[in-house]
Amino acid sequence: MTLKECYAAMGGDYEEAMGRLRSERLVQKFVLKFLDDGSYRLLCDSLAAGDRGEAFRAAHTIKGVCGNLAFNTLLESSEALTEALRDGRPPQPGEEDLIRRVQEDYQRTVQAIRTFQEGAPA
Amino acid sequence: MKNKTTRFLITSLAGVALLCVCVFAFFAIHMSGKSATTINEVGTLYMSSMSQQTSIHFESIINIQMNQLESLINAIPSEAVHSDRELREELISQAKARDFAYLGFCGQDGKLDMLYGSQLTITDPDPFLLSLRDREEKVAIGTNAEGEKVILLGTPSPHPAVSGGGCAALVAGLPVTYISDHLSLEENEERAYSFIIRKDGSFVIRSSDAYRNNYFERVRAIYEDVNGMTPDQYLEELSAAMERNEDYSNEFTVREERYHLYCTRLPRSEWYLITFMPYGTMDSIVRNFSAEWGTLTVLSGAVILAALLLVFYKYYGLTRQQLREVEESRAAAEAARLEAEDAQREAENAQWEAEHANRAKSEFLSNMSHDIRTPMNAIVGMTAIATANIDDKQQVQNCLKKITMSSKHLLGLINDVLDMSKIESGKMTLNMDQVSLQEVVDGIVSICQPQVRAKRQQFDVFIHDISAENVICDSVRLNQVLINLLSNAIKFTPDGGEIHVALYEEDSPRGEDYVRIHVQVKDNGIGMSKEFQKHLFDSFAREDSARVHRTEGTGLGMAITKFIVVDAMGGTIDVKSRQGQGTEFIITLDLEKAAAMEEDMILPSWDMLVVDDDRQLCESTVASLGSIGVKAEWALDGNSALRMINRRHRRGDDYHIILLDWKLPDMDGIAIARRIREEQGNDVPILLISAYDWGEIERDAKDAGITGFIAKPLFRSTLFNSLRQFVETDGEAEETVQTEARRDLTGRQILLAEDNELNWEIASELLGQEGLKLDWAENGQICVEMLAASPVGYYDAVLMDIRMPVMGGYEATQVIRSLEREDKDLPIIAMTADAFAEDVKRSLECGMNAHVAKPIDVREVMRLLDKFIK
Repeated sequence: MTLKECYAAMGGDYEEAMGRLRSERLVQKFVLKFLDDGSYRLLCDSLAAGDRGEAFRAAHTIKGVCGNLAFNTLLESSEALTEALRDGRPPQPGEEDLIRRVQEDYQRTVQAIRTFQEGAPA
Repeated sequence: MKNKTTRFLITSLAGVALLCVCVFAFFAIHMSGKSATTINEVGTLYMSSMSQQTSIHFESIINIQMNQLESLINAIPSEAVHSDRELREELISQAKARDFAYLGFCGQDGKLDMLYGSQLTITDPDPFLLSLRDREEKVAIGTNAEGEKVILLGTPSPHPAVSGGGCAALVAGLPVTYISDHLSLEENEERAYSFIIRKDGSFVIRSSDAYRNNYFERVRAIYEDVNGMTPDQYLEELSAAMERNEDYSNEFTVREERYHLYCTRLPRSEWYLITFMPYGTMDSIVRNFSAEWGTLTVLSGAVILAALLLVFYKYYGLTRQQLREVEESRAAAEAARLEAEDAQREAENAQWEAEHANRAKSEFLSNMSHDIRTPMNAIVGMTAIATANIDDKQQVQNCLKKITMSSKHLLGLINDVLDMSKIESGKMTLNMDQVSLQEVVDGIVSICQPQVRAKRQQFDVFIHDISAENVICDSVRLNQVLINLLSNAIKFTPDGGEIHVALYEEDSPRGEDYVRIHVQVKDNGIGMSKEFQKHLFDSFAREDSARVHRTEGTGLGMAITKFIVVDAMGGTIDVKSRQGQGTEFIITLDLEKAAAMEEDMILPSWDMLVVDDDRQLCESTVASLGSIGVKAEWALDGNSALRMINRRHRRGDDYHIILLDWKLPDMDGIAIARRIREEQGNDVPILLISAYDWGEIERDAKDAGITGFIAKPLFRSTLFNSLRQFVETDGEAEETVQTEARRDLTGRQILLAEDNELNWEIASELLGQEGLKLDWAENGQICVEMLAASPVGYYDAVLMDIRMPVMGGYEATQVIRSLEREDKDLPIIAMTADAFAEDVKRSLECGMNAHVAKPIDVREVMRLLDKFIK
C-alpha cells in the first residue's frame, strides 16, 4: 500500500498534504506520527468525564492536526464536533452522532495508516 | 400694493387734470360765446350813441344854418318896405355874408325862384313842401344845373314881403360837402363811416367808395349775407323800420369782413343816417380781452394743474417711500422668515442625517446579516449534504470545498467589517514603514494565482522601469488595496479572460524625495454600468443585475480601498469601465523614497538571454539586468531564441543563463527548454518566467530540464535574488526551487506555542525548511516563561496557537504584551484552526499582530513573519 492509497482509504487528500509538506518523506513521517498523537484519547477521556471544555480543546487539536495532514474526513467530523463543543455549549440533540462519527472516522484513519505502516519500508 | 397705489395716483391725477381742462375749456367756450354777444351788444350801444352823436351833430349843424337863415330873414326889417328888387339885393348880400351857396324862393308848386346861384331842383319836393306849409323848417336835397347834389334848407318865409307872390319858403343851399365835412362821415381811425340816404335808398351823402346812386341797389349788388338774411329781406326790414321811424341795427358781411350797421332818422329831414363799423376794431378789442381771458384761463389751469401735479408728485413720493419702508420691513420679515426656514431646514437636515446615519447603520446591519447568512447557509447546507452523503467521498469532498470557500469568504467579510468600523471610528491609521514594491507585487501575485489558475485567466504583470523599489508606505494596507482590486478583476472577469497589472513610476510633484507610483489593474471582464460607477465606493455597493448575481463579495472592499488610497494615503483612484468591455483601475500614489538599498546588487557580467513575447517586458528586463551588471539580449519568440542560442553555442560562447517565458506564441518555454537540452546538454541554467503558480507545471518543467522558476514581476531585486544562487554555485544548476524572492529570514529565532506535538513537528519541519529556528512551548504558560527567560531580542517572533491547556493563546499574548521587556512588542502571530471572525478579532484585540488559519500555509506564515519581523 502506498501513502497515496493510504490517504484514499482514510478519505484524505494526498495532493494537498504533498502541496503543504512538499515531500513524501515528510508526509509519511507525520502520518505515522499521527498514531502516537494523544488528542483522540484525551477527547474520549474528557467526554467520558463530562469535561466538555477539555473535550473541545481535544477535538480542536484533532481538527488542527487533520487540517495539517489533509485527513479531510476526520477533519470534517472533528470540526463538526469542535463546533458542537465550543464555548461550553450544553449537549445538543445529535451530538452523540457527531461523536460517533469522529470515532468511526478516527478508526478508519488509524486503520488506513496501520495498514500502510505494515506495508511501508521500515 | 405698490402698483395699486401708483395706479390710483395716476388715475386720479389724470382725472383731476381732465376735469380742470374740461372746466376751463367750458369757461373759454362760454366766454367766447359771451364775448360774441357782448361785441354785438357793445356794438349796438356804441353805434347807437355814435349815431345819436352824429344825428345831434347833424341837427346842430342844421340848426346853425337854420338860425343863419332866420337871422338873414330877421335882418331885413319888415316895416321898411323895399322894393322887391331892394329886398332881393338885401337878401343876396345877407346870404352871401352867411356863406350860403344858393338862395331862392320856393313857390307853392315847389318851383324855386333862385336869388343867386344856379337853378336848383328839389329832388323830392312833396314832403319838403308839406313841412313848409305846416310852417316847419326842413332840410332837403336838390340838384343844381350841373347835376350836383345840394343841401336845401327851407324855412317858411315869415316876411310878408317875402311871402308875397305865392312864395312858400325861403330856401338856402349848401354844397353837400359842407355837411359831410362837418359831420366827418368818412372813415375815421376806428374805420367807422356813415352816409345818409333817403327812404327810397337814394344817397343824400354818399360814402366815398360808393359809386351807385342808391344804397338799396348797392346792397343788392354787393352784400353777401346780412345776419343770416338775404339782402332783400334785410332791405324789407330796414324799410319797415324807416316807416315806423325806429332805429335799426344789424350786422352783415362784405368781402369776408363783418360790419355792424346802425340806422337812425335824422331830425328835420326825410333822411336816414346809416353808420357802419367793421367788427375788426371791436373784435380786436374784445378779442384782446378774450385772448387775455383765455391766456389767463389757460395759465390758471396750468397753475392749478402744476399745483396738483406737485401735490401728487409729493404724495407719490411719500407713498413710494412708505411703500419702500413697507417693502424694507417686509424684506426684513422675509429675511427673518428665510433665516428661520434655513434654521428649520438645517434642523431637518441634521435630523435627516441622524436618521440617515441610523438607517445606514440598520442597512449596514441588515446587509451584514444577509452577507453573513449567505456563506453561513452554504456552510450549514453543505455540512448537512455532506453528512447525509458521508459515504460518497466525491460528494463530501465537493461539499468540503464549498464550505472552505464559504468560510474564507466569511472571514474576508469579517475582516472588511473590522476595517470599516476602524475607518468609521477614525481609528484606521497607517503604519508607515519601508516597503519593497517588489515584495508587495510578488505577494499579491502569489495570493491571486490560485484564483487566476482556477478561472484559466490570462494574467500578466508588467513592471516598467521602477527605480525606487523601496518606498515608505503601509505595506499591509497597500497589499489590501491591490488584492482587493485584483480579486475584483478576477471575480468579474469570465473564465479565460485577461487581467493585466502594471506598475510604473514617474517624478512626483511633491519633490525629489518622492516618487509617483501608478498601479494599473485592468481586465476585459463584465465591466460596470455608469450608474454603478457613481456608487462604486459606497458601502455594500454591488451591481444588482443578473450578471453579477452569482458573484460574491462583502461589498465593502471598494469603500475600504477608497479610504486607504484617497483618505489615508492621499492618492487617487481612477476608474474606467464599460459594460461588457472591462474595467481599468489606476491608483496613483506619491510615496516617499526609502533610503538607498543596503546591499550592492551587482552580478558578474554574464551574457543572458531573455525570451518573452512582450517587447516591453524584454526591454525593461534587459535594462534591469544591465543595472545589476548583466549584459542581456532578448528574443520575442521561441524560434528566434533558439537561433540565437545555437549561434552562440557554435561559437562556444554560450549564454550564462537563459530566462524563458512559459507562454510564447510559437512554442512554450518548456518546449524550448527541451530543445536546448536535447541539442546542447544541461550546462546552461534555464529559468522559467511565470506569473502563475508553477505547481502544476513543475514536474513537466523539471522533466524538460528547466533549472528553476522566476516569478513575475521582474523587479531588479527579483532578478538579483533569483540569479544570485548561480554566482554562489558558479553557474551550476541548483536543485532547490526558487520560490519567492523574500528577505532572507534564515536563522531567525521563532517561539512556537503549540500543545499538540504532531502539529509542532509539522510546523517545525516546514518552517525549519525555510531556515527558521524554532523553539517549542507546549502551552501559553510555558511560552511566556520561555520568552521571559530568554535574553532581550532573542526571539524574533512568536507563533501562537489559541487553544492550549493551562494557558491559551489570548491570555499568553496579553501576558507577553504586559511584560516589562524591551521586546515585549515582538510580532505574535496567531495560528489556529479557528477561522471564525471572533477569533480573528479577539486575537487582534489581545495584541497579536496577525492571524493565520490552520492548516499551516508556509507561504502565508513566511509572508507575515517577513512583514512583522523588523
